[in-house]
Amino acid sequence: MNLLTSFTITTLFMLIMPIILTCTPAYENKLYPQYVKTTVSYAFTISMIPMVMFIHSGQEAIISNWHWMTIQTLKLSLSFKLDYFSMIFVPVALFVTWSIMEFSMWYMHADPNINRFFKYLLMFLVTMMILVTANNLFQLFIGWEGVGIMSFLLIGWWYGRTDANTAALQAVLYNRIGDVGFIMAMAWFLLNTNAWDFQQIFMIEHKNLNIPLAGLLLAATGKSAQFGLHPWLPSAMEGPTPVSALLHSSTMVVAGVFLLVRFHPLMEHNKTIQTVTLCLGAMTTLFTAICALTQNDIKKIIAFSTSSQLGLMIVTIGINQPHLAFLHICTHAFFKAMLFLCSGSIIHSLNDEQDIRKMGGLFKSLPFTTTALIIGTLALTGMPFLTGFYSKDLIIETANTSYTNAWALLTTLIATSMTAAYSTRIVFFTLLGQPRYSPIITINENNQFLTNSVKRLLLGSIFAGFLISHNITPTTVPQMTMPCHLKMMALTVTILGFILALELNLAMQNLKFDYPLSTFKFSNQLGYFPTTLHRLAPMMGLSMSQKTASMLLDAIWLENVLPKSISYFQMKSSITVSNQKGLIKLYFLSFMITLILSLFMLNFHE
Amino acid sequence: MLKIILPTMMLVPLTWMSKPNMIWINTTTYSLLISLISLTYLNQLSDNSLNFSLTFFTDSLSAPLLVLTTWLLPLMLMASQFHLSKETLTRKKLYITMLILLQLFLIMTFSATELIMFYILFEATLVPTLVIITRWGNQTERLNAGLYFLFYTLVGSLPLLVALLYAQNSLGSLNFLMVQYWTQPLPNSWSNIFMWLACMMAFMVKMPLYGLHLWLPKAHVEAPIAGSMVLAAVLLKLGGYGMMRITTMLNPLTNFMAYPFMMLSLWGMIMTSSICLRQTDLKSLIAYSSVSHMALVIVAILIQSPWSYMGATALMIAHGLTSSMLFCLANSNYERTHSRTMILARGLQTLLPLMAAWWLLAGLTNLALPPTINLIGELFVVMATFSWSNITILLMGVNITITALYSLYMLISTQRGKYTDHIKNIKPSYTRENALMALHLLPLLLLSLNPKVVLGFIY
Repeated sequence: MNLLTSFTITTLFMLIMPIILTCTPAYENKLYPQYVKTTVSYAFTISMIPMVMFIHSGQEAIISNWHWMTIQTLKLSLSFKLDYFSMIFVPVALFVTWSIMEFSMWYMHADPNINRFFKYLLMFLVTMMILVTANNLFQLFIGWEGVGIMSFLLIGWWYGRTDANTAALQAVLYNRIGDVGFIMAMAWFLLNTNAWDFQQIFMIEHKNLNIPLAGLLLAATGKSAQFGLHPWLPSAMEGPTPVSALLHSSTMVVAGVFLLVRFHPLMEHNKTIQTVTLCLGAMTTLFTAICALTQNDIKKIIAFSTSSQLGLMIVTIGINQPHLAFLHICTHAFFKAMLFLCSGSIIHSLNDEQDIRKMGGLFKSLPFTTTALIIGTLALTGMPFLTGFYSKDLIIETANTSYTNAWALLTTLIATSMTAAYSTRIVFFTLLGQPRYSPIITINENNQFLTNSVKRLLLGSIFAGFLISHNITPTTVPQMTMPCHLKMMALTVTILGFILALELNLAMQNLKFDYPLSTFKFSNQLGYFPTTLHRLAPMMGLSMSQKTASMLLDAIWLENVLPKSISYFQMKSSITVSNQKGLIKLYFLSFMITLILSLFMLNFHE
Repeated sequence: MLKIILPTMMLVPLTWMSKPNMIWINTTTYSLLISLISLTYLNQLSDNSLNFSLTFFTDSLSAPLLVLTTWLLPLMLMASQFHLSKETLTRKKLYITMLILLQLFLIMTFSATELIMFYILFEATLVPTLVIITRWGNQTERLNAGLYFLFYTLVGSLPLLVALLYAQNSLGSLNFLMVQYWTQPLPNSWSNIFMWLACMMAFMVKMPLYGLHLWLPKAHVEAPIAGSMVLAAVLLKLGGYGMMRITTMLNPLTNFMAYPFMMLSLWGMIMTSSICLRQTDLKSLIAYSSVSHMALVIVAILIQSPWSYMGATALMIAHGLTSSMLFCLANSNYERTHSRTMILARGLQTLLPLMAAWWLLAGLTNLALPPTINLIGELFVVMATFSWSNITILLMGVNITITALYSLYMLISTQRGKYTDHIKNIKPSYTRENALMALHLLPLLLLSLNPKVVLGFIY
């Protein structure tokens, strides 16, 4: 069994090799991207071995400890937890990243800093690996923050663009708000359980876990872009497409969900937090699906669909099915990465055009991308026997048969149907109909890097769900029996969404709105979030810091109360008290008087 | 102890007798050697302290600060080479002598056993600092800054002298090693409250406490680079060190006397960090961020729990290195654009990519990215305050968020974006500058591997 740990450690250490290599001349080499990509693919292959062994032997978890330091009563150790979640997630993430890296060798080939780009991608992956294999909160936090900072660097990759910098800063800001929750949870656990190790935290009974769990939920809200802290996710589309693909599939955004999955032993007994989680997830999934309906930027639509799927994962946590949420993380990674790569292919072919209104008819000129895109959207909507089906259908089934908050469930169902609607919209506008792009032909999808990477993800999008769902053991008892209409519900609403969207698109294609409806505006303006929250809050905060903190307190009050007033009073009192008043004429006059007087005295003194 | 005090003294003749072209090399190398010798103090063999003589000792609280002081002298020398290049030889030597004197006083301050001696040396550090600020500052405001610096710290610390004389009379000894066994609990009375205030105020002004911090941005902004570095890195930490030492004498009065000051600090850290968001002046931003970080240290020391002491010690060291590095970076910008205004140095990443990497790393350590010791420090402080009162997590949370914001704002506005035309023909970064940044960052990274070294006496 020792092989298991050593194989996993090999996987992790392999990934660090190219990062170490940056200190050597090899970093200057043109082959560096190739090298990184190959390393990741090898790491994937090696990580499959322990995964298969693990599933085969049916162990629960392997924990390795390496003592780091003991502070007071707290023992901090560098420890890896290899359980179902980490063992299955590692190969999935490596597989997806491998494809994305191969894709970016095509997409970013003209970038002068491509080597650095690959290093960043790899570091992003490594931090995510740290996050999923961590066995204590501190180590998890290292990965957690690392992912955040790497996303900052990658979103702001084109640092000359103001939008990219703003988006990067936004990502860090929203994540930082979430981090406060994480830090609070860390502080609470240290205070009340005196432990940061998961096992120790889970072992100790506690009556009221609301505070730390609320903190963790806040952390997950920030990282996984749940309602309230979601605006950074669509803005993050400013980064290069491979970054979006990586960010949205297997790293970063799923970290929040993963955190809640890790903490499900505490969550499952706390009804309050579960309800909050459920409602939060449902709200996110509906809201972002509504936003996705009217977007015209292809990457934005896919970004919002990620957000919506993340909401669905949080809903799953809320109905106490962490393993289903995890399953959805894994399956979602494949088709979401592929969707982004397809959109990247389209964008690149159309000379950096992202607007779906200026596409159309691409199914003839980009047959391969079309195939992948359609399969990706079908998998996303949960068509039977594609990857998405195995997780999404189960989630909605379980939600339907559970007796929790009916409103939340209804909201989720509506969002599911909308998933189909906006997916139809992508397909309809980009692939079908007449071409609306400029006639200069730059379309080319015959590069090997592109086709291979998409092909690999395509296979994943078709088969991965089946494979993973057959090898993951449920942590809670699934619902075995249900009425027929509940069983068919997910499929029905999806097909309904498809048909409705298709009919509406066909019917309305040549019609024009007189004026935009308020519902349309709401959706198109992202629920007025950017216009209100992104203007009002910074405006208030910054003007407060300028007026109150800087001007009023620092420049006026603190200055006047102590130094200025003291010197003023000193000056005044010294002027009043002193005899010498600078009246030169008077002094000279008196001096002269004395002089004359003395002269007279001397004169008459005989 | 003499084995680092005497070599430090001998640095002065070395400076004055060196050949004109060797003064920087000689002093830098020699002071680096001294700092390497002082590294041995980090290895605290016994549980309590290393007592060298009746006058000097170090324990695990003062040793990191001592090493930081000696580590900083070569860095200061490296940093000030350029801006002194136009001065005459005598002035250069005088400048170096001032820095050496400052280091000498600081070493003795951190290792003094006697409180009165500590006090005298604490005051003595003002003299070279004042000279450095008012003589080698860049603008006329330096005189005003020097005035503020001197008066705030002097007025704050004079009552301490009175209090110390009184304590000497009543206790019979002011030896740090003895006082902790001798000291009597202070009953709650008006005179004792004033005693507490007299003892703490000197250090709180030095830290500085919010409200008494006005001297700090002025002094930092106007001081030449070495002055800013040593102010941010070591002189502020004198306050923290003194507070930690003297609170042993002031129990149990601290328990309730702490409240107004904690409130002030918690409020002040948010205020100062939000001031950072609106700064256009790079050095002033870094100075205000120092105030904000030091507020955390004040809170931690006033809570007086083991966790908070560990956090405070770690944060002091971490902040010492980080803020000093940020000042160096700001100075490297200043030497090229001749302005501290951030907007005049946009898009530097395109022109100086390696410098951008240093900026990034400095910014990230400033916002306490795990697993740096900045995070360890902040995390422990947050934890200690959380256990003191749960509500403080809100204030801490706001502060953590704003800290991240202004650190990245600083990074983005200087490094990112398009570069402006007037900086097209700036000099590339020197090896000296890169070495300087690396020497700041190296201890930070190494300490992250084993933070125990800087956790103080109660880990």
